Amino acid sequence: MRDATAPPETPAWLLRQPVALCPCGCIGKRQKASYLERTLTGGSDLMHQVMFSEDVARLPGVLQRLDPRVKLVGTMLLLVAVGLAHHITTLLAAYALVLGLAWWSRVALAFFIRRVWLFIPIFTAIVVLPAAFSVVNDGDVIVHLWTWNGEPEGLTSQGLFSAALIIMRVAVSVSLAVLLTITTPWGRLLNGLRGLGVPRLIVLTINMSYRYIFLLLEAVGDMYESRKSRQVRAVKHDAAARATVGASIGTLVGKCGHLAEEVHQAMVARGYRGEVHALDATKMAAIDRAAALTSVVLAAAILSGDRLLGG
Amino acid sequence: MHIPDGYLSPATCAVGYVAATPLWVVASRRVTRVVKSRNIPLLAIFSALSFIIMMFNVPIPDGTTAHAVGGVVIAIVLGPWAAVIAVSIALLFQALLFGDGGVLSFGVNAINMAVILPFVGYAVYRIAAGGAALTSRRRVVAGAVGGYVGINAAALAAAIELGLQPVLFKSASGVPLYVPYDLGKTIPAMLLPHLTVAGLCEAILTAAVLSYLQRADVQRLVPNHPGIPITAGDAAPRPSRLSPGKVALAVGIVLVILTPLGLLAPGGAFGEDAPGDLDLGALGLRAVPAGLEKYNGFWSHTLLGGYGFQSGDHANLAYILSAIVGIAVVMAVVFALGKVAQLLSAASGQEQIEAEPHA
Repeated sequence: MRDATAPPETPAWLLRQPVALCPCGCIGKRQKASYLERTLTGGSDLMHQVMFSEDVARLPGVLQRLDPRVKLVGTMLLLVAVGLAHHITTLLAAYALVLGLAWWSRVALAFFIRRVWLFIPIFTAIVVLPAAFSVVNDGDVIVHLWTWNGEPEGLTSQGLFSAALIIMRVAVSVSLAVLLTITTPWGRLLNGLRGLGVPRLIVLTINMSYRYIFLLLEAVGDMYESRKSRQVRAVKHDAAARATVGASIGTLVGKCGHLAEEVHQAMVARGYRGEVHALDATKMAAIDRAAALTSVVLAAAILSGDRLLGG
Repeated sequence: MHIPDGYLSPATCAVGYVAATPLWVVASRRVTRVVKSRNIPLLAIFSALSFIIMMFNVPIPDGTTAHAVGGVVIAIVLGPWAAVIAVSIALLFQALLFGDGGVLSFGVNAINMAVILPFVGYAVYRIAAGGAALTSRRRVVAGAVGGYVGINAAALAAAIELGLQPVLFKSASGVPLYVPYDLGKTIPAMLLPHLTVAGLCEAILTAAVLSYLQRADVQRLVPNHPGIPITAGDAAPRPSRLSPGKVALAVGIVLVILTPLGLLAPGGAFGEDAPGDLDLGALGLRAVPAGLEKYNGFWSHTLLGGYGFQSGDHANLAYILSAIVGIAVVMAVVFALGKVAQLLSAASGQEQIEAEPHA
């Protein structure tokens, strides 16, 4: 059996980076990729992320075994409980719980922590930290930084508490959402949505859309590459470049229209008459019922623990 | 503009889902009625397109990035209801695949970017384009203005939702539990990058795509522009399709967006709370005007005096209730005026028809 902590089985060609040249310029200069180019290469990151998620979702962990409906409802319950928590201690306890669940589900903890913290909580910190300064929001200054008109100015206790509270809440919430998505294959997640009453038409649309993201991403990449292969000089960010981007998306709109027609015809040819039929959702096992009960108990514990802390 | 989980209170997120759910139901019914069984592949592929458009980020000076949503383009090509579904699904992918935008806050994000953005943008586009031909330059400009206004309206809505958090949700010691910035800070913080960078992205994208479709694939625009001539030399412009209900609904939506701004205004205007609040010096007055003194408090039989219950309890709830009652009354008055105008216009049209044979 494969080791749970082993690197993901993602094809190497997806991870290939552009050839790095010497930074001193002795063997030529590397031009900084444009935002457009970086976004297109970011497409491979997206595929990597999705494929790695599927790798994790196939591991024999505890969350992977659960019914997706239970996981969806449980995650929502825990998200609400975390959203209603007023104390950092409660949120730290909830984070420890999420890390425990991740470990129990054989998710590599270093990857999990990096994936969660690297973007949204750090971005949140940048956004909310100014609120901790007394010039932005009034409060009791505990870190004196400068004096203005005889008044001490700096970081306030209320501001720091508020910032820490929101950063922790965001981190725990993102961790819960990431844990749900990486331990559930996309198809099962959609089955779970259907099991919870989301109309079949919407679920089928989401499922089809998911597949076409990659096709359209490839079409955008092809268009960009074909233009790049026909130009002699470096791309200028001028009106012509904007017109090219507009024309590319316009072409994409046209392609989408044609594709939708073709897919519809293919569906009709296979017997589609506007009604969506699908296999019934699986029945819940004893472990699923136990998990549902556990998630209710955990959410109640988070809330009552928070109330016990007062305030 | 994607609000992650943890920024908004669960109560605000619940309001987002409650507001978005009926719109999703109406949108899926409307789209199914228009395009019949073609709806699934059409919506699926345009949802993927919206997702791809949102992937193209442009850095902005405050360290974050901005991107176009493409909601107005989709609304122009397929109609605003189709844009509601397409952008909502794209947002769902972003929340689940990237963790960009939250699971609890999905309803609120959908209201901002999948409802307000395409509807406001499309309404502005329709008004600005009028009955101009599909290939006219006016339509490109209208698309740009629609994109610009649409994304800024969505940003304003997000700013209001974020800015209401410290007003409505505080701990017992008065510390904000969610976003710590009030409306006075969230509105400039959200609108500045959107009025400059993101608004331009959406405007340029919408105009460029429209311009390309005019040149290369104008038939793509025909289904959602019934009665509009392709070139200026074609058919006569169609009559206005504005109904009193639509006008009242538009007024209601604008009021819903603008109402929370009242929380921003410091003090009272022209001594509205009490004549004693008037800054007499600044107004060049020596005393409170006699008329104001006499008639102040003349009518006190109000249902929600001072936007609150008589008991003074549940101030926030009473404020929201006052806003809902006020908006409903204004919408009813606009609807009634619209009906009267429609009846008068129908009567004058009838007179004209009757008069014509004698002319």
